[in-house]
Amino acid sequence: MSADATNPQELTVGHLPEGAEVQQNIGQRRRTGRIWQGIFLASIVFSLLALLTLILDVANDAFGLVATESSVDVAEVTGGRELSALSQAELVTIIEANTSGRVQARLNREQPLAERSQEDLVGVIEIEVLKSSLVGVWPLWESLTQRPAIEAAVAEKNPRAQIVWRSWINPDFLTSPMSSVALNAGLRTAILGTLWVTILTALFAIPIGVFAAIYLEEYADQRTWYNKAIQTNINNLAGVPSIIYGMLGLAIFVRVFEPFTSGAIFGAGSGGDGTLNGRTVIAAAFTMALLILPIIIIASQEAIRAVPNSLRQGSYGLGATKWQTVQNIVLPQALPGILTGVILSISRAAGETAPLILVGASTFIVSDPSGPFSKFTVVPIQIYNWTSRPEQEFKDVAAAAIIVLLVLILIFNTSAVLLRNYFRSKRVSL
Amino acid sequence: MTTYDIDPANANAIEARDMSIYYGTFKAVNKVSLAVEKNKITALIGPSGCGKSTVLRSFNRMNDLVPTARTEGEILFRGKNLYASDVDPVEVRRRIGMVFQKANPFPKSIYENIAYGPRINGWKGSKAEMDELVERSIRGAALWDDVKDKLQQSGLSLSGGQQQRLCIARALATQPEVILMDEPCSALDPISTLKIEELMFELRQRYTLIIVTHNMQQAARASDYTAFFLMNQERAGELVEYASTQTIFQNPKDERTEQYISGRFG
Repeated sequence: MSADATNPQELTVGHLPEGAEVQQNIGQRRRTGRIWQGIFLASIVFSLLALLTLILDVANDAFGLVATESSVDVAEVTGGRELSALSQAELVTIIEANTSGRVQARLNREQPLAERSQEDLVGVIEIEVLKSSLVGVWPLWESLTQRPAIEAAVAEKNPRAQIVWRSWINPDFLTSPMSSVALNAGLRTAILGTLWVTILTALFAIPIGVFAAIYLEEYADQRTWYNKAIQTNINNLAGVPSIIYGMLGLAIFVRVFEPFTSGAIFGAGSGGDGTLNGRTVIAAAFTMALLILPIIIIASQEAIRAVPNSLRQGSYGLGATKWQTVQNIVLPQALPGILTGVILSISRAAGETAPLILVGASTFIVSDPSGPFSKFTVVPIQIYNWTSRPEQEFKDVAAAAIIVLLVLILIFNTSAVLLRNYFRSKRVSL
Repeated sequence: MTTYDIDPANANAIEARDMSIYYGTFKAVNKVSLAVEKNKITALIGPSGCGKSTVLRSFNRMNDLVPTARTEGEILFRGKNLYASDVDPVEVRRRIGMVFQKANPFPKSIYENIAYGPRINGWKGSKAEMDELVERSIRGAALWDDVKDKLQQSGLSLSGGQQQRLCIARALATQPEVILMDEPCSALDPISTLKIEELMFELRQRYTLIIVTHNMQQAARASDYTAFFLMNQERAGELVEYASTQTIFQNPKDERTEQYISGRFG
């Protein structure tokens, strides 16, 4: 070491800005920073605009004016009075007088007529007695801005038609089964199907995924070639298109394991909602479980890896075995992270469509799924199905279903955040 | 071979014989022989990378946790080789406790931090007895007055020095004979350091302490014996000189020890 290396006065390699140069240099650096900040802000604005467009587009279809026309005149069945002015008992009499025994039996099975509310009965009369049918639907924007033109057009073509505001998403939409009539179409079978498939998927995928992650992080010797190969493959599987999983599910769970997935070996499958083939809730759940397994494993591995090694050392240093350390120190600490990964992957499964088309979700079923061996449909399949129909009113029904699906996924994600926060606060205070 | 001025009449708590430690093919420690006297504080000093931490961690088989680590030679504890095939490292670590460089209390309550060690080691007793054990362990680490009113609070709510004493209390709860300390004060302020050093002198009455330190003043004032380590040409750590602390710091036999002590390298 020479003496001049320690003396700054002797350094003559290049030079740092001095005097007026300093201001200029700092201004330049700050401008560069502001440009990048602008780019980051623009990205956020762009994302928000895209999201807003999506929401507006869906809302535009989910609400709006509809024109309905009855094939039977109200005055004929009520004797000239308004439906809303009639009492509950009078409404029941009208229904019993104007519908067939089969229709009454079906209505009574859903809920006895005598126990129904006045508004409910009015709705029943509109559909079953007056046989209202749609003659036109308009999106929200048009309904708001061009109402006179719409009214004029309807008055000219269908003088008897009524124009009313309709929210396609309403309590009936959530509780009615499917229907080929847009006004009656409901999402109940699809919501139940989504719940069945998602819950069974979670039951299969969560334990297997979390246990596999524990093995890979805490037990496997990560230096061996086979464990490296397993790790690489899991990472790759997380990126495989979901339709490939659908093909796998079709080949394995629907075809090869048909006696099991159809429930035949358990004596199930011949009932009202059974299928006698492998296109059942359980085949779909197995397929979805395979699809989200890599995601759960990777998320759990990262959560486990984030536990400081010093905690493991502290536990071993007291004479803990490996499992005692994992159970008492690592897992409680990793739990919030594991939960976040798990629930996000579950909401992915709830919104996934492509593999279920291949596995054979039904596009039209009226009966609710009643167990793992039922045929089924799910909300995204119904959305896909409705949007592919030519009539505008089914696009509106689909928009309502999209809102339901978004709310379902929002509920999943919110519960993920709440659960994580709960365990995080518990972890610190325990 | 070096001769060491250890009093032969006093039984040794733990003794390394020709111990070499490898990480894969790299030899980190070369043929270290070190007899540690009972109820004394022995400091391991030396420049970075001289293998003193590796030696310390081999005393309770913490090196076993590194998959590539391999140990040759033997370490005698209660007359038995710790590395014999029939010895379970889990039992070794219960009897030879460890305190780490950075305080690492578990993210549990202060009470649970202490109770964890006995519980995982199959402790049997009533709730009242556990309360007693927890209190005694915390008192042993001179922490009772600081935490007696907040045993249910998180161990992480304590200050750095208190956390380190909590880790010492945690080690005491499994009733070890030897306590290993790996630079226990390197992350602490001078006041906290002083408290830990005072605590070490108290602990000496019941336990044998081995401490790794970078701080030569600490070794000089807070230990009975000092072992000086240095890398050889193959970068493997070797024991250069081992004697009473007084001898090492005032009258070292080896020239390299003298140079290191006087701050000429390292």
